[in-house]
Amino acid sequence: MFSLTRRLSFGLRYTNVPSRRNESNSKKLRGPAAQDVSYFRSVLTRPSHGVLDGTASHDVKDEIDKKYNTDWTRHYKGSSDLVLRPQTTWEVSSILKYCNENHIGVTTQGGNTGLCGGATPISNEVVLSMEYMNRIYKLDEYSGVMTCDAGCILQSLHDYAEEKGFLFPLDIGSKGTCQIGGNVSTNAGGHHFFRFGGMHGTVVGMEVVLADGRVLRLNIDNSEDGNNERTHQFQQSSASLRKDNTGYDLKQLFIGGEGTLGIVTKVAVACPALPTSKNVALLVCNSYNDVLQILKTSKEELGEILSAIELIDSNTMNFIQKYGAGNGDHLMTELLSSETTSKQPLFILVETQGCNQESDFSKMDSFLTSLYESSTIENGFLAQDSKQIEEIWGLREACNPSVAQAGYVHKFDVSIGIESYMEVAEEVSDALKKSNLPDLTVCCWGHVADGNAHINIISGKFDGDVNEAEAIENIVYSSVMKRKGSISAEHGIGQSKRKYIGQTKDEAVLELMSQVKNLFDPNFILNPGKYLP
Amino acid sequence: MRKILVPIKRVIDYAQKIRVDSSKGPQGVQLKNVKMSMNPFCEIAVEEAIQLKEKNKGAEVVAISVGPKQCTETIRTALAMGADRGIHIETKPDVRGDYVDLQPWAIASLLKGVVEKEDAVDLVLLGKQSIDSDCGQTGPLLAGLLNAPQATFAANIERGDDGSFTVERETDTESVLISLSNNKSAPSFTWQNSTTTLGTETIKLNACGKPAVITCDLRLNTPRYPTMPNIMKAKKKPVNTISLEDMVKELGLDLDEVLTPQNEVVEVYEPPPRKEGETVGSIDELLGKLKEKGLVA
Repeated sequence: MFSLTRRLSFGLRYTNVPSRRNESNSKKLRGPAAQDVSYFRSVLTRPSHGVLDGTASHDVKDEIDKKYNTDWTRHYKGSSDLVLRPQTTWEVSSILKYCNENHIGVTTQGGNTGLCGGATPISNEVVLSMEYMNRIYKLDEYSGVMTCDAGCILQSLHDYAEEKGFLFPLDIGSKGTCQIGGNVSTNAGGHHFFRFGGMHGTVVGMEVVLADGRVLRLNIDNSEDGNNERTHQFQQSSASLRKDNTGYDLKQLFIGGEGTLGIVTKVAVACPALPTSKNVALLVCNSYNDVLQILKTSKEELGEILSAIELIDSNTMNFIQKYGAGNGDHLMTELLSSETTSKQPLFILVETQGCNQESDFSKMDSFLTSLYESSTIENGFLAQDSKQIEEIWGLREACNPSVAQAGYVHKFDVSIGIESYMEVAEEVSDALKKSNLPDLTVCCWGHVADGNAHINIISGKFDGDVNEAEAIENIVYSSVMKRKGSISAEHGIGQSKRKYIGQTKDEAVLELMSQVKNLFDPNFILNPGKYLP
Repeated sequence: MRKILVPIKRVIDYAQKIRVDSSKGPQGVQLKNVKMSMNPFCEIAVEEAIQLKEKNKGAEVVAISVGPKQCTETIRTALAMGADRGIHIETKPDVRGDYVDLQPWAIASLLKGVVEKEDAVDLVLLGKQSIDSDCGQTGPLLAGLLNAPQATFAANIERGDDGSFTVERETDTESVLISLSNNKSAPSFTWQNSTTTLGTETIKLNACGKPAVITCDLRLNTPRYPTMPNIMKAKKKPVNTISLEDMVKELGLDLDEVLTPQNEVVEVYEPPPRKEGETVGSIDELLGKLKEKGLVA
């Protein structure tokens, strides 16, 4: 195991850049003690499952370390001794109220698939896992609004919606493990951001518990919550409406708030109707100029049925071939044997979703023909059935896991103007060659139509050298910032990008964000050490 | 090798959730606004035909489909994979292809006529079954009507220089090897004893100037993707569309006989939904429940 963060003490400060604000608040936090554990046991309806006390036995401590104290990238390691797994909003409320009064730090965790260490405790905070709050309440067949608990696994929401003829508007590679509460708290983007927009638009209501235990119901129906009578102070609730302009839209603060302002316990998401016709093609082209042409043509020829455009570069495709093609082996062989002028071709996945197979197919056909005849693409692979559609998407979803097996990965998720998309990867590649950092491969893939590039720099050696990491970060971020891009398009801040937020935001913005934090969580118990600089 | 005929069927895509409206009786399976694709086993047959064509210069692969006008899309896919031309026997929009109206006997009768009309057909490759009806009858029925040698569930096909086909077919227990031959002078059927090794058995069949009829199973090959150069070429390949009525007349068949199904679909319904499971809190509780249900003493 290796870790890029230095071990922190009770102070819970990120050591490189000390927090300029609210420092004094965080100094008062402490970890849980025996009497706290007893209290938590008393408020949970199933304490035998709901409390994992690491001080009780080695086995439990091991389980906590493996499952809750480590993040997916294995870059971050916390030292929590206590995991609480509530089943109802009322339990969450009681837990937070107590922690707030006793200055105990709480880190909320969903599927633990985040890529910035946002759900991993920094020290010995209590981990509040949402995994047992996983009921789906209903899906309104007219408005398409689905109401469910925050601990629902994203795939289960997809399955439930599909049963009823709807499509859940968020789709990401980790959907088999990640939970909707985490998705909402990190404002996850995903493959279909281009078509359905982000969570700020698709989440129409939520129930959230504040640091002092108050439960906020924001445009969400609570009639299914069996523990009504035990919930403290709930506001007037309403069925989840699509439109409601009566007051500041507070829920927007929690979307992307990464659990620092409150804990999301329920969500209401508007789902579009399930498209019955899906077409996927994988295109091979020589340069980014061709990609720009593909983007333009797709808007003209595919228009409203276009649902995703994803880019994968050669370096990434080579890693997928080595480590992750799986079922797509066959496709991979055909793909890499395509003749191209460039030695480093680019691969573009294009997906359409609509409700008329014939007209969608004819649009896709004229789109591909237009690109081929103008020599914009060297080749294109058109999926002829669901199996081939899954294989092509399988390649895109294999990007992350494949490079993870290739070596130590320096992960970046940046947003730049679509025209300059590949410039950052190329500039970084050149800069790294000139620097004295050896054996680094720059991979670039991502949601090109959103201007969102996942730049992953793979180091041949497996140990994480802190100096190397910082040098690489500086090269990548300065390349992004000089183009006025974002250093975190969709992955969020968590632990990993905290120190850069101070450098990329105006003073007034930082001041206001700090004041908002103080308003919602004056004792700084929620996800301490994360998000704000 | 001369012509390879590949009958293909347009069916509901395998990944689609099937919706049934029981009030509609036999017409219950919803076909409206549902994604349709080429039957996966037919895809495998097309792939095999193209691979054989690539190994035998001069062979022509003909894709044929019976169904509504959207079948031309399915035929185009076969052409984009590498088939040379297509034949579309077009049915009126209200004729259902999924066993309700058109059934294996009708299709096999039509295919028999086409094989005889085309002449010079050395091989008919079909999918082992379609995923909507799961009958698996069209291939064997066709072989019977043509009095031709057949091998079903092919997992491997080798063509000999004498025009024979050695087929390894899937069986429940062992793999069996059958050899189909076009040798006119030899007797129609020869058993050849061989030692059974690793569960395979070699059988050599000698046919008499008839096309071999082989149905294809999953392990045979992985169908290729239609790629741009081939998709472009496919646009220029000929597809001969002829209405079912005209084709029936041309082949000297009786339209009523073809359109009247041999089997009547009595009822269509969705399988009963799976009952939700129960979560228990402890092993004791689990034992208690099992005892309650009489599953444990």
